[in-house]
Amino acid sequence: MSTSEGGDSPGEAGGGPDGTGDSGGLRTTLTRTRAATALTLRRRDSLSVVTGVTVIYLLGYLWAVGDLAPGFGGYGLVLAADPLGGLLRTTSGPLSFAPVALVRAGPLAYEASLNTLVGLGLALLVGLNLGLTYLTRKQPAACGLRSSTGVLAGVPALLSGTACCGPVVLVALGLQASGVILTAFQVLLPAAVLVLVGSLVAVGRQVRPEAMAAASGSGARGSDNRE
Amino acid sequence: MPRLTRRRTLASLASLGAAALAGCTTDANTGGGGGTVPAADDRLPLPIEPPALRDAAVSGGPGKDGIPSIDEPSFVAPAEVDFLADGDPVFGVARDGVTKAYPQSILAQHEIVNDELAGDPVSVTYCPLTGTVLGFDRGATSFGVSGRLVNDNLIMYDRATETWWPQILATAVPGPWNAEPETRSLREFRLVWTTWERWRGQHPETRVLSRDTGSPRNYARDPYGDYNPREGYYAGGAPLFPPLREDDRYGPKRVVMGARAPEGAVAFLKDGLREAGLLSGQLGDVPVLAVHDPRYDTGYVYRNPDELAYESVDEGVEGPAGITYAPDRLPLDRIHTFDAMWFAWAGFYPETDVYE
Repeated sequence: MSTSEGGDSPGEAGGGPDGTGDSGGLRTTLTRTRAATALTLRRRDSLSVVTGVTVIYLLGYLWAVGDLAPGFGGYGLVLAADPLGGLLRTTSGPLSFAPVALVRAGPLAYEASLNTLVGLGLALLVGLNLGLTYLTRKQPAACGLRSSTGVLAGVPALLSGTACCGPVVLVALGLQASGVILTAFQVLLPAAVLVLVGSLVAVGRQVRPEAMAAASGSGARGSDNRE
Repeated sequence: MPRLTRRRTLASLASLGAAALAGCTTDANTGGGGGTVPAADDRLPLPIEPPALRDAAVSGGPGKDGIPSIDEPSFVAPAEVDFLADGDPVFGVARDGVTKAYPQSILAQHEIVNDELAGDPVSVTYCPLTGTVLGFDRGATSFGVSGRLVNDNLIMYDRATETWWPQILATAVPGPWNAEPETRSLREFRLVWTTWERWRGQHPETRVLSRDTGSPRNYARDPYGDYNPREGYYAGGAPLFPPLREDDRYGPKRVVMGARAPEGAVAFLKDGLREAGLLSGQLGDVPVLAVHDPRYDTGYVYRNPDELAYESVDEGVEGPAGITYAPDRLPLDRIHTFDAMWFAWAGFYPETDVYE
């Protein structure tokens, strides 16, 4: 397992061999992040982490915004009169969308809306963060990383699951609303996206995919794990 | 002996009431689109000047019509209702031979149903945050949800003139879409907040608002809590937004039976009325009588200017001539009475008299 290839130390990715200036550093950062992300998705074990986290987070998100909840029982599908026309219609907040379909599935009911797409995007970001973190924990020497970054980045993302609900969340928490809190709710979700992307880049830029691929061993799928 | 906790001074209400009486009309509010909003004969009191009410309005989160009113309601027979438990709250109305029940679980996600009762266009309105349900004549137009709240109470708007109408106040106030509406009050009618079991028992022929509302919603989920049993926001704790005025004499979510008129406002604690059967009080300077109706577990407030003696008996309420009346049929002038959370009532009517 390599620990010194390339001569980089953690936090110096922008000044690595490919990066001679600001634009070069940025290019290196993006290249490494993209490569690290691709590697995370290619390895069976890290892909499992990404998939599992994404699914769990998405379900949690839908539950948090109320789109997935206990129902009256029975099975069936109810469509809005104009599903496409109502797709962008917001409800309890600027990023909370009206349901265009209701799926009754026994004890559960699922309201389909763009909230699911928003939640899926967040869930993927959280999943990638945690998948990459998994890799860095498994092979810290190859990455030269402190591996807690991705985990911490997931916290605001988890909180953002409540952002769509706005004041309704305050009801659930028994809190009284104020202008500051309501403003915070409005920026929570976009802030979470920024933090998650930032976290992914921050971790990914420190990864040397070629080193990780070389060191990945049995967790990889043959040559697919090499960048 | 009822305990009187009274604040007699109704200066602000009286001054506004006087102004209101001067402008009492029964004409219609004609606006864009040709719709009309029928106005009441008397204007109801406002806690503060109309422009101040606009300033006190806050966004509840949703935008205009973000909470969609039900504009084409459909109804089902009780035999088809499999989504209500006996103890679930419904809002019932019996008018001109038509009997309908509106489940709270559906109204919690729509707040307004633009409906007809015996051919009359009406709106059934419900505010989950203040626990109030009121019916209004809507004329040729309809009401929608503005997305704003004042004193945590739903601000409706009429689609003809886009005037703001806070639900409890039932009176036009300035808003961003109509900055200078004539200050007038809506024509109201009573909806009974009761349980499905009680309503069905009294009105087996009732029609029930269907879950087929045109919106694919999960009506098993109330985002605020539950009434059967009482949980979440409905069970206690602070209101979502600070009320216009704090009054800690009772818990904020304690339910009162409130009545207001140009003379002022009066409230009876619902559990106190339930226990006493009858309670006397004052609305402004007018003696009033509150009567509990065990059939629905609700209450009515009557003007009783001569302070006639009524007594609660097994079959109903016995009057001074020895005649027994149903609780909602006393030969007195009945004032529109409705359930409300204490904080909301006290916030809008700080000078209210309260009896328990």
